[in-house]
Amino acid sequence: MRNSTFSLNQFATLFLVGVLAVVAVPANADNKRAPDFVGVTMTGDHIRLSDFRGKAVVLEWTNHQCPYVRKHYSSGNMQKTQRALTEDGAVWISIISSAPGKQGYVAAEEAQKLTAARGSYAGYVILDSDGSIGRQYGAKTTPHMFVIDENGHLIYQGAIDDIPSASRRTLKDATNLVLAAWTDFQAGEPIARPITKPYGCTVKYSDTID
Amino acid sequence: MKKAQELLKRMMVVMAATVSMLLASSSFASADLGRVDATHSSAILHSEYAVAEAGETVWLGLELAPREGWHSYWKNYGDSGAAPLLYWTLPEGVTAGEPLYPTPHRMPIGPLMNYGYEEPSILLIPLSISDDFTGRSIPIGLEAEWLVCEIECVPQDGSWNAELPVGQMQVDDAARHVFRAARVALPEMAIWSSELTVYSAQSRLKLHVSEAEVEGVSDAYFFPAGEGVAEYAAEQQWSITSEGLFVDMQRLEGGVDATSGDGVLVLTFEDKSQRAIEVEAVVNQDTVVPAKAGSSPSVQALLPLWQALVFALLGGMVLNLMPCVFPVLSLKAFSFIAANSKTETGRKQEGWAYTAGIWVSFMIIVGVLLMIKSGGAAIGWGFQLQEPAFVGSLVLLMVLVALSLSGMFNITVGVEGAGQGLASQDGNKGAFFQGVLAALVATPCTAPLMAPAIGYALTQPAPVVFLIFSLLAFGLALPFLALSYSPALAKLMPSPGPWMEKLKEALAFPMYLTAAWLLYVFNLQAGATATLALLVALIVAIFGVWLWQSFSGRISRSIAVLFMVGAIAGIIYQPFSAPPGSASQESSEIQPYSEENLSKLLGDGETVFAYFTAEWCITCKVNEQVALFTDDTQALMAEKGIKLLKGDWTNRNDEIANLLADYGRAGVPLYLLFPKGQSEAIILPEILTPGIIADAINDIE
Repeated sequence: MRNSTFSLNQFATLFLVGVLAVVAVPANADNKRAPDFVGVTMTGDHIRLSDFRGKAVVLEWTNHQCPYVRKHYSSGNMQKTQRALTEDGAVWISIISSAPGKQGYVAAEEAQKLTAARGSYAGYVILDSDGSIGRQYGAKTTPHMFVIDENGHLIYQGAIDDIPSASRRTLKDATNLVLAAWTDFQAGEPIARPITKPYGCTVKYSDTID
Repeated sequence: MKKAQELLKRMMVVMAATVSMLLASSSFASADLGRVDATHSSAILHSEYAVAEAGETVWLGLELAPREGWHSYWKNYGDSGAAPLLYWTLPEGVTAGEPLYPTPHRMPIGPLMNYGYEEPSILLIPLSISDDFTGRSIPIGLEAEWLVCEIECVPQDGSWNAELPVGQMQVDDAARHVFRAARVALPEMAIWSSELTVYSAQSRLKLHVSEAEVEGVSDAYFFPAGEGVAEYAAEQQWSITSEGLFVDMQRLEGGVDATSGDGVLVLTFEDKSQRAIEVEAVVNQDTVVPAKAGSSPSVQALLPLWQALVFALLGGMVLNLMPCVFPVLSLKAFSFIAANSKTETGRKQEGWAYTAGIWVSFMIIVGVLLMIKSGGAAIGWGFQLQEPAFVGSLVLLMVLVALSLSGMFNITVGVEGAGQGLASQDGNKGAFFQGVLAALVATPCTAPLMAPAIGYALTQPAPVVFLIFSLLAFGLALPFLALSYSPALAKLMPSPGPWMEKLKEALAFPMYLTAAWLLYVFNLQAGATATLALLVALIVAIFGVWLWQSFSGRISRSIAVLFMVGAIAGIIYQPFSAPPGSASQESSEIQPYSEENLSKLLGDGETVFAYFTAEWCITCKVNEQVALFTDDTQALMAEKGIKLLKGDWTNRNDEIANLLADYGRAGVPLYLLFPKGQSEAIILPEILTPGIIADAINDIE
């Protein structure tokens, strides 16, 4: 009988190792996952972020009456950025989180006119008038940019460029941070500046949370 | 005479010329360097000196005056906005420094927070002139852009081209009051040393001041100049202890790295006066989440290390009396009864093996805990019991031990062979294993003194954590270790006989009960399907053990091992685990704890009793049965209109983990009594009696 003794000491060791393996897993949990959302576009379609899994997605918070947004559109800087990324296969989603009655709020029809008028290359324009997507992402300014990779991870968030000015003259000296992040990403390198401080007008959220 | 007259005339002319020149220069000087009226604000560039001088630094002031109801921004504008941008065009040898900003104000906008000025503000800019500057005046060119917002934002811009004469330095009297006002509005120079510690989701500013220096402070707020220090819209918590003044800020997890500890600290005093102080804090990065400063002074950094160590040691000893360790201790006691049959050295060795078993287990658990914490997860002591895989494995372990005691198989847990003069080596292994078992089942229990020690430990760097837990482990092991050194006691033990076999079998029953309780916890965590799967896995595992012991052939043993491994893998990977449903069967009068519920009740001026518990926490369950949910206590609470909030930590919950950390705790139980709408709670002890609760409630009346 003695030689068939099953030793619990070894079991205990195995057990502790097992526990270590199990509970250590959440330690690697990725907190940079882009929150999923459903939004209604200016054409009335419901789109979900996870529908675009497999493609990179850019979120651009915008407000056409904000001078900082106007700077980037009237100079063609935003369109240039949109074009570069969409041609590389990214999905560009512009999001308007202005509440009804506040600056930058547009109804569907006006949004369509506006998007055409400013020659935007955005694939979708989401009307987020209750601000739910904006709050989910912590969008603070217009413009405020988020770049999400094919697997739904946030790879860039922050300003469009590094000179916080409303003047178009500053563009020539500015580094476009979205393009810079995109270039790093395409090259398979770590993003040099993955998070920057956005500048511009406050997102004109509704005062009440529905 | 004529000559004299001519001389006089000449002098008069010279004097007149001088006077007119002086007048001219002073009228030039009293004028500022220019005013720009933009659409929604005006801007004036002032010079403090009418005449500058080579080798000196003179000050310019840019006064920005937004229209009524509009505001301009501080250098860190907070969540949105833009800081003023100044582009200077200056001759060689003259340089403009970084502007000094007046103390900013908070301007909340919806869910966001901005920092800036609702009234005219003056930025002070130093202009340094080199020694070898030879020009007679400095041409100053400034292009400025500044943002003003009401709700909408309108960028403003202006340009200046002015000349500042150079000669012998001369203050401009007319500008004196402008610069005096500008300097009053600046924060005071940094006079106290300070440090900013940045954690994953919060940061803490510590200012080294004595309590006397900040007496009468009724509010403190830190405006960080750098990014990544604070979430601007989140409230800041402050406190003053003998260590200094602390400001705790929330920060965005995974946000911009904080690199600067600069900023402005604004102190408001009881008489409503304010004092703004420049802060140039040294930045430290830390991964371990701190306890809230000041909220419960007994567990702060105030708790000296030696005291935490003493608490840990005593707490570990008291832990022996807690219900969860009981079944295992009865095992230990049994092996001790057999002490009579062992040599003195054998006994001592076993004592140390037992101690080592406890210590190694504690170190492994703490190591894992620290690893997870550094990943940013909000967890605390007892975290392993929030993991159904762990609870499931513990059920298996308990059942196997119990079955072995019952005599179904023959596995070494250190009690078999009692009376047979078992070789001391086997005894040591058994003792070590008993230590492991004791540590594993002890974790759901909190003993008095232990909670502050653990709460303190988890805010400290890793070596201190391991030191404190080592003492806790030693404390838990100490009673038996001490007994193993007592030959007198060994002699007292009855001589071995067949009665020991019966006693051993009897000891299996507390083990089965432990398994039953763990199964109940598992069921709450993982759901009924997972519980069925666990029971099947248990039976498969037992079958495996039986197979192993019944047949000694290589093939059957391999099959046995396969069964065992399959069962354990099934338990660990939890294929049928369901998200926990609401397991609460208590009366609807008890609301679940959430920050929102608590602040709502406090906002309504209610007295709130919040208790934090977990199904696996036996101390909690005992307290609830004997003290909290007795008829008397409930009647008293009903009479006083006290609202109950229950924080259930059976499963992982960041909100509760954060609250526990706020009170310097790393685990449950925690009992908080909030007197009528006050946000400062009275902390009740970990072991409750009806009397303690009643006294606390009556005391706050």
